Amino acid sequence: MIRVNIQQQVLHFIVFLVIQIPFLYKLILFNSAFGFFYIGFILFLPYALNRSLTMVIAFLTGLIIDAFSNTPGIHASACILVAFVKDGWFNLMMGTSDDDVYLDWNELKVWGSIKYLLPLIFIHHIIIFTVENGGFNSFGFLFSKILYSALYSFIIVFGLSFLMAPKARRI
Amino acid sequence: MQNLLYFLYRFRTFGLFLLLEGICAWLIIGYNNQPNAAFLNSSNRLVAGINTLTSNTGDYFQLKTINDQLIRENLLLREQLANVSLGLVEIDSSVRKYNLFKAKVINNTFQRSMNYLTLDVGSKDQVLPGMGVIGGEGVVGQVKSVSGNFATVTSLLHRNLMISSSVKRTRTLCTVQWDGNSPLEASLKYIPRHIPINIGDTIVTSGFNAVFPKNIPIGTISEYQLEDNDVFYEAKISLAVDFSSLEYVYLVQNVMKAEQDSLETETQMVQ
Repeated sequence: MIRVNIQQQVLHFIVFLVIQIPFLYKLILFNSAFGFFYIGFILFLPYALNRSLTMVIAFLTGLIIDAFSNTPGIHASACILVAFVKDGWFNLMMGTSDDDVYLDWNELKVWGSIKYLLPLIFIHHIIIFTVENGGFNSFGFLFSKILYSALYSFIIVFGLSFLMAPKARRI
Repeated sequence: MQNLLYFLYRFRTFGLFLLLEGICAWLIIGYNNQPNAAFLNSSNRLVAGINTLTSNTGDYFQLKTINDQLIRENLLLREQLANVSLGLVEIDSSVRKYNLFKAKVINNTFQRSMNYLTLDVGSKDQVLPGMGVIGGEGVVGQVKSVSGNFATVTSLLHRNLMISSSVKRTRTLCTVQWDGNSPLEASLKYIPRHIPINIGDTIVTSGFNAVFPKNIPIGTISEYQLEDNDVFYEAKISLAVDFSSLEYVYLVQNVMKAEQDSLETETQMVQ
């Protein structure tokens, strides 16, 4: 049984996507670390939600970001790929294939976040920066951008998801 | 037939994945080739409206920088005016070829490998795709697409934008193109090896196309090298415009662009 908490998803939508838009290119550190934390919205879509639906949501999310960054298709294509592999990657990393998983920080904890979020964010950033760069030219600079941005985005996504996680009840 | 349908049904998710990625590829390729793609970019009314809102909020914190820029530009213009009144510079006022419009920058990036600006003027203010954009200190870019009230500009910091330019001292024709690394530098191409160039030479627009007027500064040569078997110099220029603090720019309208362009195409067709 899939549990979809609409309230939580709306909260994710606001915190990850709506807040990202005014800060899309304003949170840049050292001219190379870009914080694209809107990807958190896609990564925290309900586990085992219909995969086609997930991809369509990811596509629309990407298009919104693309409209603001003048890159039609680039963010969208990366988001679709992440949406396509996200559940499979979760199974592989967390070793569960149980539908009764409620995807949030309480489920992942620190080590789970690193295993589940970081590689997907890294893939997403590889696609965005490589396509925008038009290939692998000036590879060193491109790679440093990807690496720093992925770490930076991961830290923001991790922090925000930690803040939004419902507090586990103490017994 | 049934097997085919079954096959399609089984791979429907993967099919949708390919379809969506296909749409994305089409968007990516289409955007780079279309001259006026007003759909899905920052000249879109809703997107630009939101950008204006954030830009207006940030403005109060930058008043000092804007003031400094305006003072500097004013100084430059005063100097030129003084030269004119002394009779040092001749002004040919027989033909009015260019009109300038002012515009406010509401969104600007300079750290990416393809940078764009959004301006608060659009087709209602007679802005057309392809018009040149200059700042107080020099060339900024070229208009990419236009909606009713907003325009998206391809910044000089965009790998696909090439600007016909010349070395001011020797009048050698060359091309400026950004190499995607530092927002302070661009590459200078096609200066033949028999022309002597120096560090510090000013690079200006050539005026050979209908986009920019002649002699608008682009930058100064900061380094160059010439290998023994090179035909052209490999040079870098430091850009005149500081793209990190761009607040107000001017759009250049060439009144005779249509006439010049049609004559040039006609000549090419005759050849």
